[in-house]
Amino acid sequence: MEIRSLFEWMDALPSSIMLRESIYGYPILLTGHVVTMCLFAGLVLMMDLRLAGLGNLHTPVTQIQKRLFPWQMFGLTLSTVSGLLLFYSQPMRYFPNFYFWLKNLLLILAMANAMAFHLTTYRSVAAWDNDRVPPFPARLAGGLSLLLWAAIIMIGRMIAYSGLVPQWWLDLGLE
Amino acid sequence: MSLLPFFQWMQAHPISVYFLDNTWATPIVQLIHLVALAVFAGAILVVDMRLLGLGLTKTPLESVARDAQPWLVWGFVVLLITGLPQMSSTALKQYYSPFFWWKMEALLLGLIYTFTLRRKLVQTDEARLGPFWPKVAGLFSISVWTGVAIGARLIGLLS
Repeated sequence: MEIRSLFEWMDALPSSIMLRESIYGYPILLTGHVVTMCLFAGLVLMMDLRLAGLGNLHTPVTQIQKRLFPWQMFGLTLSTVSGLLLFYSQPMRYFPNFYFWLKNLLLILAMANAMAFHLTTYRSVAAWDNDRVPPFPARLAGGLSLLLWAAIIMIGRMIAYSGLVPQWWLDLGLE
Repeated sequence: MSLLPFFQWMQAHPISVYFLDNTWATPIVQLIHLVALAVFAGAILVVDMRLLGLGLTKTPLESVARDAQPWLVWGFVVLLITGLPQMSSTALKQYYSPFFWWKMEALLLGLIYTFTLRRKLVQTDEARLGPFWPKVAGLFSISVWTGVAIGARLIGLLS
């Protein structure tokens, strides 16, 4: 299988082995991943609450979007770098991991939701910028984003529980 | 007086036994703990960033803080409820982990600061605060809470 050989190739690279075998590499990367997740997800959740009409209602939607966006991207960059390095340090640990693949799938869905919102509903924001309760499509995008990012955080934590997965996944024999 | 007997009592408590005997009990509270952490962090950050002159600068400081308050309080309540059984079921590991005590000291400092001094500060007229002290207050808050998160993660990794 092609993906498997790609992962195996990466797993055997000297820099991957070096990172995997260093004593503090994993603790530093994982701690960095959690702290930068707080920056990214924390600010994304604050934005989503505004879109859903649930929080931060004293600030117009465009203010939240424009002023938090650079910090969300800063957090996203750092958590992506730490996440990719975590992956790079143990590709063959993550290859047979159910939650690793599920998290990546959910990440794609969350990105697609954000993209769809910006290309459609957000175009008309001038008409509802100050509304305490934004129109339904905006609330839907905000609510979906809240649920997806909460799920991504939870499924990411579940990667550590590689045995607590559906039997059919174990039956695939990826280990 | 040593706190060891208290931690031994926690470790032997029926709630701890329940969490150690049930495969899904610990992961489930850990998942909720982490989502609550993100909510809490968001509520802390919007206000700290505002103090630093970043983020929602066109909204009055007091309004940003008032909007964040329920998410801060409820985020913390959930963190506490989901944190206690994790501490209790691994009480002896926690007792002997330097990172646990680091986390608890930083947490105590963060709580007292956030719900007394910082709370007072964000309700004060911004013109009276001047440009300097809000920045110190925001930076201090971010540092302490980041310290709590780092200590917390390291209990599981380096203990």
